[in-house]
Amino acid sequence: MQNEESLVHRAQQRDTEAFAQLYENYFDKIYRYVVFKIGNRTEAEDVTQQVFLNALQSISSFKWKGRPFSAWLFRIAHNQIVDYLRKKTRQATTPLDKSTVISDSNPQLAIERKLDIEQLLLATKRLTKAQQEVISLRFAGELPIAEVAKVMDKSEGAVKALQHSAIVALRKTLVVTNNDSK
Amino acid sequence: MTASKEFDNVLDECLERLLTKGETIEQCLQSYLEQAAELEPLLQMAVAAKKAVAVQPRSEFRAEARYQFHAALGEVASQRSRPFLGWFPRWATVVAIVLGLILVGGGTVSAAGYSMPDSPLYPVKLTTEQVRLALTPSELGKAQLSTELADRRIVEIIYMANKGDAQQVEAITQRLDERLIMLATLASTTRDVTQEGTKDGGAPEVLTLPSVEQPAPSSPEEATGEGDVRIETNNRAKLRVTVARYAVNHPAALRAVLQNEKIPESAKPALRDAIDKTVAGYERVLKALD
Repeated sequence: MQNEESLVHRAQQRDTEAFAQLYENYFDKIYRYVVFKIGNRTEAEDVTQQVFLNALQSISSFKWKGRPFSAWLFRIAHNQIVDYLRKKTRQATTPLDKSTVISDSNPQLAIERKLDIEQLLLATKRLTKAQQEVISLRFAGELPIAEVAKVMDKSEGAVKALQHSAIVALRKTLVVTNNDSK
Repeated sequence: MTASKEFDNVLDECLERLLTKGETIEQCLQSYLEQAAELEPLLQMAVAAKKAVAVQPRSEFRAEARYQFHAALGEVASQRSRPFLGWFPRWATVVAIVLGLILVGGGTVSAAGYSMPDSPLYPVKLTTEQVRLALTPSELGKAQLSTELADRRIVEIIYMANKGDAQQVEAITQRLDERLIMLATLASTTRDVTQEGTKDGGAPEVLTLPSVEQPAPSSPEEATGEGDVRIETNNRAKLRVTVARYAVNHPAALRAVLQNEKIPESAKPALRDAIDKTVAGYERVLKALD
């Protein structure tokens, strides 16, 4: 983290190489987070690019004050996504269909074998907004709980509880045993 | 602590161990035998979710995004420099900065290094590149530097294409083409030296040229050890990897820009020419390296 602090400090002094390094460190994580939130890879590309351009423009306003750089960057991504979705005239609301439900004699194996991002996205739509955000930041953004808590302005305990309830809900939505599906 | 909170903590600790430390579900369950029955299905769900979200950006997008970002960085660097440079005539600026670089080094390098063709720092960037090439002692080193410079030209082409400046795109393409021709020549030269040095089983020739930083060896033995050849071969392999990567990424990035609807029509013919020259240029280099 000390290394990141130094990189951020240099980036704030307009050291382009330091900023380029931060970009490389976070590009994939931000992209995955955006894909997961938007549900469309092509549109996620534009938003991802915009996140980093916004970060470049506002890096001088970033202050540590107990909030890590990752939390600041993901907050920019979150705002960008909200802005993007607001501008979108028609929000695609795909109902959860049968293809989302995983059915197998062994539900655990079925999840591992069949779950892809589209299915997960549809299942995630059944979660509360806060649960969705925790899953996005934790699994797509790969942030530890402490940083998720900073992004969401919640306590670590609250985020852990949300994480727990979100995973339980996802499992409930995705796993249907043979008996249930018949 | 309530049982529910305790379980939230246990679940999170296991997730941390699974997702970031690479441990298995079984290892985690061993640590919490009492909660294992409740933990196991949740951990399996979490692992499956993590795998599902592990999507990778398309390589063309990654390349284009990187170039666009570097172009934006260049803009930032040149914005920073403009007020100061506004006091000087253009030629004086160039001379002052090059002198500054030579005498002090460092400070302005990254700013000039990222400057774009429409920036007052751009002539400094080109001059600095020439100086760096001249100061690089070995042919292989020059070839490696040339790949870096070719990469910069691609960033510049994309930047100017976005601005619809066809003339600048043509001019940079010309520079890129010259750079790739030089790279092909350097690549074939280093190959000849390496092969001549080893094919008859005799001592390999000196592979680096003398320089101020790296004085010429006083005796042939000093410079002709097997270690030198091994390093040279490794560096050559690295060069080939870089060239092969750029041979794919550079035309892909330019094609992605060409397909972008926001690019002015006026810039597209020049962009197509840049793609053709880039493809042909890298083919020549790869051929020379093979």
